[in-house]
Amino acid sequence: MTNNKVNKQENDWKQSVDSTIKRFPERKDLFTTSSDIEVDRLYTSKNEADLGYPGQYPYTRGIQPTMYRSRFWTMRQYAGFGSATGTNERFRYLLEQGQTGLSVAFDLPTQIGYDSDDIMAEGEVGKVGVAIDSLKDMEILLNQIPLNKVSTSMTINASASVLLCMYIAVGEKQGVPLDELTGTIQNDILKEYISRGTYIYPPKPSMRLITDIFEYCQKNVPKFNTISISGYHIREAGSNAVQEAAFTIANGMAYVDAAIDSGLDIDSFAPRLAFFFNAHNNFFEEVAKFRAARRIWAKIMKEKYEAKDPKSWKLRFHTQTGGSTLTAQQPDNNITRVTLQALASVMGGTQSLHTNSRDEALSLPTEDSARIALRTQQIIANESGVADTIDPLGGSYYVEELTDRIEVEVNKYLDRINEIGGAVQAVEEGFMQREIHQNAYEIQKRIEKNEEIIVGLNEFKLDEEINPDLLKVDPSLEQAQITSIQKIRSNRNKTDVTLALEAFREAVKTSDTNLIPYILDAVRAYATIGEICNVMRDEFGEYTGI
Amino acid sequence: MDKIRVLVAKPGLDGHDRGALIISQALRDHGMEVIYTGLRQTPVQIAQAAVQEDVDVIGLSSLSGAHNTLFPKIMDELKKRHADDIPVVGGGVIPSEDIPFLLEKGIKRIFTSGSSTESLANYIQELIYPKDSAVTSPKKISHIGIAVTNIDKAISFYTDSLGMEIEGVENVESQAVKIAFLKVGESRIELLEPLDDSSSIKKFLDKKGEGIHHIALEVDNLERRLSKLKSEGIQLIDEEAKPGAGDSQIAFIHPKSTNGVLFELCQQAEGSEE
Repeated sequence: MTNNKVNKQENDWKQSVDSTIKRFPERKDLFTTSSDIEVDRLYTSKNEADLGYPGQYPYTRGIQPTMYRSRFWTMRQYAGFGSATGTNERFRYLLEQGQTGLSVAFDLPTQIGYDSDDIMAEGEVGKVGVAIDSLKDMEILLNQIPLNKVSTSMTINASASVLLCMYIAVGEKQGVPLDELTGTIQNDILKEYISRGTYIYPPKPSMRLITDIFEYCQKNVPKFNTISISGYHIREAGSNAVQEAAFTIANGMAYVDAAIDSGLDIDSFAPRLAFFFNAHNNFFEEVAKFRAARRIWAKIMKEKYEAKDPKSWKLRFHTQTGGSTLTAQQPDNNITRVTLQALASVMGGTQSLHTNSRDEALSLPTEDSARIALRTQQIIANESGVADTIDPLGGSYYVEELTDRIEVEVNKYLDRINEIGGAVQAVEEGFMQREIHQNAYEIQKRIEKNEEIIVGLNEFKLDEEINPDLLKVDPSLEQAQITSIQKIRSNRNKTDVTLALEAFREAVKTSDTNLIPYILDAVRAYATIGEICNVMRDEFGEYTGI
Repeated sequence: MDKIRVLVAKPGLDGHDRGALIISQALRDHGMEVIYTGLRQTPVQIAQAAVQEDVDVIGLSSLSGAHNTLFPKIMDELKKRHADDIPVVGGGVIPSEDIPFLLEKGIKRIFTSGSSTESLANYIQELIYPKDSAVTSPKKISHIGIAVTNIDKAISFYTDSLGMEIEGVENVESQAVKIAFLKVGESRIELLEPLDDSSSIKKFLDKKGEGIHHIALEVDNLERRLSKLKSEGIQLIDEEAKPGAGDSQIAFIHPKSTNGVLFELCQQAEGSEE
């Protein structure tokens, strides 16, 4: 790269810093280390300048010109269990403790579109998240939470369209204009087929629901992130870091293709695409993975899809520390693991972060554990100084080499998936599933042969296990939730529900009607998640795995 | 011996099947036939599949916290089909306080996170073919090893005073020891004298003086026994069997795992009279 070009980039960056600071003043006038050494905004070497600058294509060093010097990442703890009332209390507790965004965990029946009194829901109600059967539960969940001030991430995929509509309906009841609602729905069905298993319908209608959401939100809820393309679960299912990045990006491309095929313009929806990655223990590899993913996505969006708006090029992502890396043995050690992983996410430039709790290999977190997990982020942000300069590992020989290597390896996978015919085809053929499973089995064998050391599990064991206090979901909750949904069914206006569901069924039978307004009408009439999803089950059929 | 048939099942709505898939593959690698149900199976479907497939064992995997509801239901469904003689084991994210309840409901054993696939495979093997198992009692005490500084000086006590018969004296160069066997009924006393300073017997004598060095147990199926001990976290000096005297196979267990006693396991060569 010529010196002139470097100087131009540097000047462009400096100008963007000035304008960014006007909107987001830096947290301090002067950043210093504990020995009072001034910390520069960015370190760079002129020879390494093809890395680019933060906030500039290809965004290897971050998507914003000032990154955390202006504002820390969003600390978004994932929470939800039992009833809407209990979860609402936990949300309000976390907001009081300084959390800056909500992240809702839903129970499995809600995620798979079953009402709490469905036979399939038996034993599962409120277990891994909150049970939401109808708009009524959503109203309780978000009670006294101002939806124009708090952004909400919802981990919901197969039934995302219904939950999004419930969220919109609560916003309407709070009097919040739709264009002020902010948040994210995960809404990534491809990774469900690959790794998490929480699917309902076959791929084609599932992709239609996703593009319907893109289109509806672009017009009506423009600040909502309409999808969070998730590598997290791919990694938890046993992939390595390269596979995580590769399969996530491949899925992202499939969503872009589907949206373009449905007639949307790339720059109309791409800026609202968000990503979700995992952070495991291999510190430098994780940092490099985030940097490489950003660069690869930027190149794909600009060069392959010819997006014009720089916002379409930016890979924005949430990170969660790795649940599967935690051990049930000596659970306090998990605090250390989470700290390392959180640090890697921050050094990798994440936009928001969930830190896992120490007891998550045993059950859902207790309030104490959830607070320690949040405090871990707050200590990294406020005490460690790593947020005071941008991309602090940029220029490290090791990290730059790893970033380049990961880019090459990810691109090899992308080429292979492209040869198969894209991510949807690769999922249907089970390609990604096989790759992940093979890697998971290899990891297990290495652990059993002590070739990979897991502290407390296969080395450094204690004779006596420490058993922490665990959170127990009240077993009577299932019955209470069943009573509640039956009460809602008998109190609502039955004609409204019937009419809304009939209209919805007619729309589902078409191939080109946007389904979201119909779901919204059904939700407003207090149709249940099971009733709405069953209409689609009847018409679309159910996916049964391969 | 017929191949053991295992049904690996995922009850409930949880879609995380990394554990179930790993276990399926590991059991196949241990020579078993595995039928995996796939996701979201109801108790009825699981019991039916177990009967139809005529399996020897059912393995249930659950991570969502629904185990206390779903596992007992599966036991009930098996009973209805007169198939409650099929042993059922469970695993996943299961808090230790729930385990007694599940065992009371008839689940044979719960393998929690961190259990090795090796220990699961061994457990199933024992459950179905107990005779072939690695935990049958050792056949006898093969011999008791006694460290001495000089065999020639020590031996007269055994022969002259106790009237025992010398069976043989030999040098085992690989271990740098000279050994003498004295027969006592169906067992033996083995005297061990170091040949040089590199011998572990020399170190033993320097540290503890003369006395009992090890007890050797005669066993069947040494390799499987070693892999079982290893999977249980027992510290082994020899993770694989090595050649011992007279075509036997031997391996030592570390005293750290045996309350301070050095045990040798030995398996006689097939066809051996011993």
